[in-house]
Amino acid sequence: MEILKELETIAKQNVNTTLESARSNGKKIMGYFCSYVPEEVIHAAGFIPYRMRAVESPGTSLGDTYFAPSICSFVRHCFSKALNGDFDFLDGVIFMNGCDHNRRMHDNWRYAKIKPEFLYMLPVPHVVSDASTQKYMNEIKKLARAMETEFDVTITARALEDAIILYNKKRDLLTRIYENRKKKEVPIKGSEFLSIMLAITALPIDIAIEKLELVLKGLEGRVVSSDDDLRLFMAAVCTEEIEHMELIENSGGIVVADKICLGRSHFHTLVELKDDPIRAIAKRYLTHLSCPRMMDDMRRRMAYMHDEIKEYNVDAIIVEKLEFCTLMAGETFLYKNEAGKIDFPILSLDRELFGGGTGQIKTRVQAFFEQVRNIKEMSQN
Amino acid sequence: MIAAGCDIGSLTAKAVIIRDGSIVSKKIIRVKETALKSAETVMSMVTSEAGLKMEDIDSCCTTGYGRYDIPFSDMNKSQISCHGLGAFWLDRSIRTIIDIGGQDCKAVAVGENGMVKDFIMNEKCAAGTGRSLEILAKTIGIELEELGPVSLKSKKEVELANKCSIFMELDVIQHLYNKTKIRDIANAINTAVARRVVQLSKAVRLENDICITGGVSKNIGVVNKLEEMLKIKFKQLPEDPQLMGAMGAAVFAAKIN
Repeated sequence: MEILKELETIAKQNVNTTLESARSNGKKIMGYFCSYVPEEVIHAAGFIPYRMRAVESPGTSLGDTYFAPSICSFVRHCFSKALNGDFDFLDGVIFMNGCDHNRRMHDNWRYAKIKPEFLYMLPVPHVVSDASTQKYMNEIKKLARAMETEFDVTITARALEDAIILYNKKRDLLTRIYENRKKKEVPIKGSEFLSIMLAITALPIDIAIEKLELVLKGLEGRVVSSDDDLRLFMAAVCTEEIEHMELIENSGGIVVADKICLGRSHFHTLVELKDDPIRAIAKRYLTHLSCPRMMDDMRRRMAYMHDEIKEYNVDAIIVEKLEFCTLMAGETFLYKNEAGKIDFPILSLDRELFGGGTGQIKTRVQAFFEQVRNIKEMSQN
Repeated sequence: MIAAGCDIGSLTAKAVIIRDGSIVSKKIIRVKETALKSAETVMSMVTSEAGLKMEDIDSCCTTGYGRYDIPFSDMNKSQISCHGLGAFWLDRSIRTIIDIGGQDCKAVAVGENGMVKDFIMNEKCAAGTGRSLEILAKTIGIELEELGPVSLKSKKEVELANKCSIFMELDVIQHLYNKTKIRDIANAINTAVARRVVQLSKAVRLENDICITGGVSKNIGVVNKLEEMLKIKFKQLPEDPQLMGAMGAAVFAAKIN
């Protein structure tokens, strides 16, 4: 499908031509980390939200001069890119307290005095409650004020409401594409879905919606799975290497459901616009499919895994942890424990982002698939 | 039915030919510059030994890190499944296999059909592998093959504090400077490697019918230490345990499990 090839090309680039041309026409671009930073607010301030990525990283050597090797490779790659000038096209970057590694990147970025000048740390609560929603609303308002002051713009309630409609449309389209994977004959691979996610988080929203509509249309009658493919649920955080997902799928599986940052977590739950748009945004971002950073929400995440296993007819789980990711270390334990309760096959991979070691990963994945097939055959006999 | 199994590892390439359910030839060589060259060389030797030509092979299965894109291969299987099936085919009572190869080590549990039930494999780390033994043997100036026998003569326990093979080498050098006897350092090296494998093996439920395969199975020092630490006795296989990957691949090719 032509549109998927186009999106894959965009996904593998740090900056795409659409962004470059928008910038040359005077449009401003705001980088952001993590699914807890509200894109609607960035859009309403007149910026194109750009999800920060390690794609096209020159390696971690520059970042390694600031960070200990025990900092996760996503952070070291991103900061290397920043030091290399790869994010100079941005007008600002919004960080959030997703994890301590990311917080240290904010510190180092400021310390290194590199572009862009506008660096903002958005503190997002770690629990869901009325008080935390109020706190998050206040933080969103502070962020809005900071952008208004720095860039001499005004974020109106109307602009926020319009942004909510647009970003909800994007979420709805992504959900419909994602749900196509429930089919027995799967029309889209996990690696293709990851390409879509990387691409649309680096495009203006109107263009992203156009592309997603084309993808959805293109899926009609399309089949990319074979009967032998194992249907996989993949759980991870900053996974963004298309080649890595292809490696897994080329070993005889197809990712039909996920819980990754650049996956379901990004578009799960719509913003329910009833009254105050800031309140609506705060509620959605705080209560959407949660990241391991959120406390007291493990049961809901594990329930999500069980639901996806049933709804997407999953054969096996692959859970990935980037080395030194403390959040996923705990989450991997939970996944293994939960899968163990129902005797469900699970493979955990501990690796570095763009870190090579494909020989070992291939062997581990292939052996896991052989094991799952053996268990399936044994139970059928 | 003539079936071949070819295991192209990181240090050695192995091949086994089975004819109507019996082993007719087997070979182990040091790897060549490319996986293809290794596969071609070892297969040429093994077919020649059996008085066969490549075209006589009905089915060939490749395994090991070089298992892909071998033109004469009909299928490829992971070395984890192949070591499991190979050992099981030779001894049907085997349920756990500890395989220590050139660049990785694994503990594999197989079911009653010889297929993988569970496994654990080392992450991207050289400690507890044949490669680290090779480097450390070189550091103390002895051949890899001598590391086991020399270590058995040890009379004094010395420690290698580090778990990482790079830092382990620094520990070894420090012992050399301190004039620690080679036999005691050799013993410490084998103990350190065995300790890493034991840690890994704990993730798989070890059953009594257990064997050891892979190149490191030839190091008597590591084998003894593993038996001591795991409180088990490895079953002796009727064939060279280093051949088990190729053996299992041949069984997969012959579909006779």
